Amino acid sequence: MSYKFDWSVLWSGESGGWLLQGLATTLELSVLAWVLAAALGIVSGAMRTVPWRLLRGLATFYVEFFRNVPLLVWMFFWYFGVPPLLPEAVREWLFDHGLPFWAGMFALGVYHGARMSEVIRSGIQSIPRTQFEASLAMGLTTFQAYRVVIIPIALRLIVPPATSESLNLLKNSSVALTISVAELTFQTRQIETYTAKAIEAFTAGTLIYLVLCVGIAIVMTRVERRFAIPGLIARGG
Amino acid sequence: MKRLLTLVLAFALGLAAAAPAHAEGTLDKINQSGVLVIGTRTASPPFAYVNKSNEWVGFTIDLVEQGVLPSLSKKLGKPIKLEKKESTPPTRIPLLTSNAVDLIAGTMTDTRARRDSVDFSITFFVTGAQFLVKRTSPIKGIESIANRRVAAQQGSTNAKIIRERVPTAKLQEFPDQPAAFQALTQGQVDAYTNDGIQLYGLRAKAPKPDDWKVVGDFFSYEPYGMAMRKNDSEFRAAVNNGLMELIESGKYLELYDKWFGPKSETPYPLTPENRRFLIMQVVPK
Repeated sequence: MSYKFDWSVLWSGESGGWLLQGLATTLELSVLAWVLAAALGIVSGAMRTVPWRLLRGLATFYVEFFRNVPLLVWMFFWYFGVPPLLPEAVREWLFDHGLPFWAGMFALGVYHGARMSEVIRSGIQSIPRTQFEASLAMGLTTFQAYRVVIIPIALRLIVPPATSESLNLLKNSSVALTISVAELTFQTRQIETYTAKAIEAFTAGTLIYLVLCVGIAIVMTRVERRFAIPGLIARGG
Repeated sequence: MKRLLTLVLAFALGLAAAAPAHAEGTLDKINQSGVLVIGTRTASPPFAYVNKSNEWVGFTIDLVEQGVLPSLSKKLGKPIKLEKKESTPPTRIPLLTSNAVDLIAGTMTDTRARRDSVDFSITFFVTGAQFLVKRTSPIKGIESIANRRVAAQQGSTNAKIIRERVPTAKLQEFPDQPAAFQALTQGQVDAYTNDGIQLYGLRAKAPKPDDWKVVGDFFSYEPYGMAMRKNDSEFRAAVNNGLMELIESGKYLELYDKWFGPKSETPYPLTPENRRFLIMQVVPK
């Protein structure tokens, strides 16, 4: 009486289309959230290292507040908590235009922005202070020093941890199903509903995440090589 | 890189090959452990939920405790204890097939697609899908939800029917009831669809029940059954005997009255048709 596998449920009927739709939504959600996370991360990560206390305080507050609350809670916050604060017209418009997706995108982006911020800060702080001082001595302002020297170098240093963080973001996008975003995990559950073949559906989901993540990791390795500054970092392999 | 891919592939295949093996029947398993493990709901009043005094109770749980357990004890000749685990629509079949639970006793609709993966007991409750809306809502049933935002429970048969019959409805599917109800309360959605009886249960538990109404004719047929692993007829017979015993002795009606009677929190009269249907499922001794 062991479980009978029937892998054909994955491509028969509408299942294949659902998986593709789910994959598309997952990618859309993750890419937009990643852009937001990267922008927030770079700005707040840099702010945490600047010589002005107020900016440092602001960035620290952002990081600690958003990083230390579970992502699931943020999903509910953006979906349930934010709309009542908006004017009625805006709220109704959002309700009719995919609020779950945007709430999920902000939850994911702002949460991972806080985590990305720490990665970027560690990158910046691993650059010898003399680089910054040399930039100022060349006549650059602090802003210019960050823009043309510090951040470009830091971004090269943090490719490995940033890749990890990006993969986390992609996988965490599945939490958005709690606020009814029809992403990949949601669709695997949908297939389970229609076919009652849970193990097949979840395996398909697992493999798609795996392939996506390994693919991103491979691309990021290439990026790391391509943009490396010769002689700056000792590397193996 | 090639080696990495091989590793990934090996892992995936290992995952696929990890089919749960059942060397023994469920009755043997229960006989050895002395425990029946059921998968049930935590927030589906009045079938299975955690009440205000933090007890895990409900109609289905009573059916198991007063019908299925005595039947198993009789069959095995020793007292059997009950252990409850939480199961949700997406997890219940995997929980069963992986042997984590022996019986799903919650609010699971018996369907032909599901019968490919699990076996069902006799039907112990009959309901159908309706809508929960604000008291002032113009929605009257499935005929008036075109272009409306409708919440449904993920993995339920209701969502499937709406998708097929009213493709213009904007469906939002939530993994659990509280989130869907919250969305309805705040206006993210205009209606929440689920099995009628569950909506009555939800309404009864709402802070202000009078603000809500359940509307529409049943647009689906939802016969609830208890699910178990496939092809285990001995266990299935024991479960069915327990349920039939309950219906035959009239105890089922007492329990029905306790949970759905006029004095209960969720009044839901047993129609003469349904009553007859239940009784006719009981085969002679």
